[in-house]
Parts: sequence; C-alpha cells; structure tokens
Amino acid sequence: MTTGYNFAYLNEQTKRMIRRALLKAVAIPGYQVPFASREMPMPYGWGTGGVQVTASILTPQDTLKVIDQGADDTTNAVSIRKFFVRTAGVATTEETEKASIIQTRHRVPEAALREDQILVYQVPIPEPLRFLEPRETETRKMHALEEYGIMHVKLYEDIARHGHIATAYAYPAKVNGRYVFDPSPIPKFDNPKLDDCAALQLFGAGREKRIYAVPPYTKVRSLDFEDHPFSVQKWEEPCALCGSTTTYLDEIILDDKGKRMFVCSDTDHCRKSQEKAA
Amino acid sequence: MSTELLSGFTDHARSSAEAFRVMLDAMAQPGRILPLTPDFAAPAPLFASTAAICLTLCDYDTPLWLDDSLRETAVIDYLRFHTGARIENDRPQASFLLCTPATAAEALAQASIGNAEYPDASATLIIQVPDFSGDRLTLKGPGIKDERVFTTAGLGARFWALMDENHQLFPLGRDVYFAAPKEIAALPRSTQIKREGQA
Repeated sequence: MTTGYNFAYLNEQTKRMIRRALLKAVAIPGYQVPFASREMPMPYGWGTGGVQVTASILTPQDTLKVIDQGADDTTNAVSIRKFFVRTAGVATTEETEKASIIQTRHRVPEAALREDQILVYQVPIPEPLRFLEPRETETRKMHALEEYGIMHVKLYEDIARHGHIATAYAYPAKVNGRYVFDPSPIPKFDNPKLDDCAALQLFGAGREKRIYAVPPYTKVRSLDFEDHPFSVQKWEEPCALCGSTTTYLDEIILDDKGKRMFVCSDTDHCRKSQEKAA
Repeated sequence: MSTELLSGFTDHARSSAEAFRVMLDAMAQPGRILPLTPDFAAPAPLFASTAAICLTLCDYDTPLWLDDSLRETAVIDYLRFHTGARIENDRPQASFLLCTPATAAEALAQASIGNAEYPDASATLIIQVPDFSGDRLTLKGPGIKDERVFTTAGLGARFWALMDENHQLFPLGRDVYFAAPKEIAALPRSTQIKREGQA
C-alpha cells in the first residue's frame, strides 16, 4: 500500500461532500444529484465518477471487483483495481459472489446480486435527455415537471425509421415511477436486471459531476409502447466457450475473411460455467 | 471553556468510512435497524451514534440546528470543533437538524424540502430516540422487499402525520435518521409509512 495518501485517496472533506450527495441520491431514486467532482489521477472518461463513489463508500473490510464491459482483465478494470489496492489496501476478487463492492463500466454481472453488495456504475453522460435538449436549465425543468414527452418521441422516431426501437444501449428507464434516468451505456440486455435488484446501485459521472442511485428492490421500468414492448437482444448461437444461451455475448472477429465467434462478455461467469461443465 | 473537549474518531478516515457504510445501508433499506457503535464517547446528552453521523457528514457547508435539550455548551463546542459546521438558529436554513422526540414534529414541519429543480437541497433530520420500541409502522417503497415492520419510540401522532405529508411531497421532502445510543435507522422521503390501526 502506498503511504502519503489518505485512505482511499480522496481527502475527508471531499468524501463528506460525496457522501451527502450519495444519501440524497438514495433518498430520491433516479434523480441526478450535482456534486463537486474532483480531478482524479486518471483522465475523464476513464471512470472518475465511479472511482470517486467507490472511494467514498469503501471500508478496509471490503472486497472489490472491477469490470470493464464484463471483463476483469481489461486496462480500465486492472488499473482501477490497482489504484484501490495501492491507496486503500483493500482485498480484490474477480468473482462476483465474493465481492462486496463491484465497480463496473458498461455491464451488469450475469450472476444475481445480493443485498450485501453494492454495484457502482461509471457513467459518461448521466442526462438521458441531453442529446434531445442540450441546455441543462431546460432538462432540469423537464425533470422537475416530469415532462418526458420528447423521450417517447425519440423512441417513436426509432420505430418510424427502423421498424423497431433501435436504441440498444443506455436505454432510458423510469425509476420508482418518477424520474427517467440513463442506466449508463449498459446494453439494454441488462436493463431488466436493474429492476427489483437486491443490491444497492450507485451511479457516478465525474466529468458531468452527477451522482444518482437505485436503492434495492426498486421498480426500474424501461420505456416502451404497448404495441412495441421493450425487448432484449437475442443471439442465434450459444457462447463458443461455455455454451451459455442466456448471457450477453460479444462478437469477436477472428480473421479478415468474415470468420467470427460469440463469447460471453462476463468473463467470470463464463469461466465458472466452463469449470462446472468440465 | 471549563470542560475538556472529547475526541472524535480515533482513525478518522477508516472509522468514518465504516460509519458511513452503516448510514448508507440504513438509507438504502428504510426501517432496518443497524448497529452504529463508534470508538469514542460524545458529550451528553449527545449519543455517540448521533455524533458519528455528524462527524461523518457535517462540515462548513452544512448549517446545523439543535433543539433546546441538545443546545448544551459542551455539545455545541464539540460539534463546532470536530465538524466546523455553523450552528444555525433558524430551522429552515439548516442542512441537518438534531432533535429529540419532543421537538421532532416542529423541526420536521419547518425543515427545508428543497425545490422542484433541486430536491436534493433539502434537510436531513437526526432524531435521538431512547430505543427502537413503541410506535409500530409498516413501511413500503424503494429499498424494501414487499413490506417491512418498523418500531420506534414515542414520536406521536402529529409527527407521523407530518411524515405522511413529507412522503406525499416526493421528490421533495426531508429525510430522517433515528439514532438510538447504539443503533440507527432511516426513513427517506420515498418511504410510504402506515401506522398500526390506520386504514
């Protein structure tokens, strides 16, 4: 463990400010709480929001798992895990079941989460209405008035143009029947896992300076229409490594002649399935 | 300054992190009573659990209001020294309001509810209760699988009527921590509260 830093890197005043924001975020599910995001020793876009949230909730007894697109061994996941080993001395794991805090970039683990676990999402753009209305003053008013018409227009335009809702990731959902929120760029495949989830889910957007949350057992309903109900991605073939037909698969290009394979994006889940089969 | 100032967390960074996790769990699972036993003693009549909440959350950004029973010199000196928070006399201006069952209803009625665009700009009440027995309540809402039964000591009909109003204001409203000497629980504004015997 590196000395000369406070426990979990951030100073205590910063943690207090983030902790207050986290409690308000939990009390108002889906509402984006502004917070004074700090510069972190990594560039914006590399999970500075998630890192600040994790640093503020981390205790010495925690076991941390970090995933990037479902994988434990990608650059972003490895460096964030190392960061907390060095600054907080916490134990780490690659196994979903053994982790007390899981920081994630763009995936929800396949294994069901428990009440004693916290999932921390790294969020690039927290505002679901941002690409439809660039002015913060306006989107804030729209959330205050629960005016989400333009989001339905956007989904309708998807249907008019493509015949179906073409939004495949960062799929907007309504939390606890009140706030429309952006579940971060997880594939829409993961949206149903957010609904009624046993674990607390925290979202941190560093560059955009917003924190929001979904408490355990909270209703998260993906937006849709009666005649175009929400549906998730399906694959025609099983995972090439573990044979799973129920997980989210990544397409891997094998050569320049069109050969490809589909494998689980959740590396821990895939490895365990293979071990079980062997 | 006649009395000696008591100390706060021995290892602030680690101990306040542990205290915060209890507070976060309490807020995420409304009505669950969780142990919070910090490693220091607070000046009476302030509980160590209440002090732990203040030392973990309060600083120069959060005006703090105390009811008359807690407005002891020793308590004020202690909170001022350890948190740096301004002691506020005006309830609507405070970020955190420390009260006891007798003053909780009035504090709840006057505390800030935030505004439609910033519902987070609202107050948090910390109510010192002797223990978690007494009023029996059934809770529903985010953080609760189906329903949860919660009991807490003598807050009275007016307080619970105001808590119901507080929930109706959602997403506006105040959030409440209950602090017994060694345990805490929370009721955020999102929780629907039904008193025993009510329809």
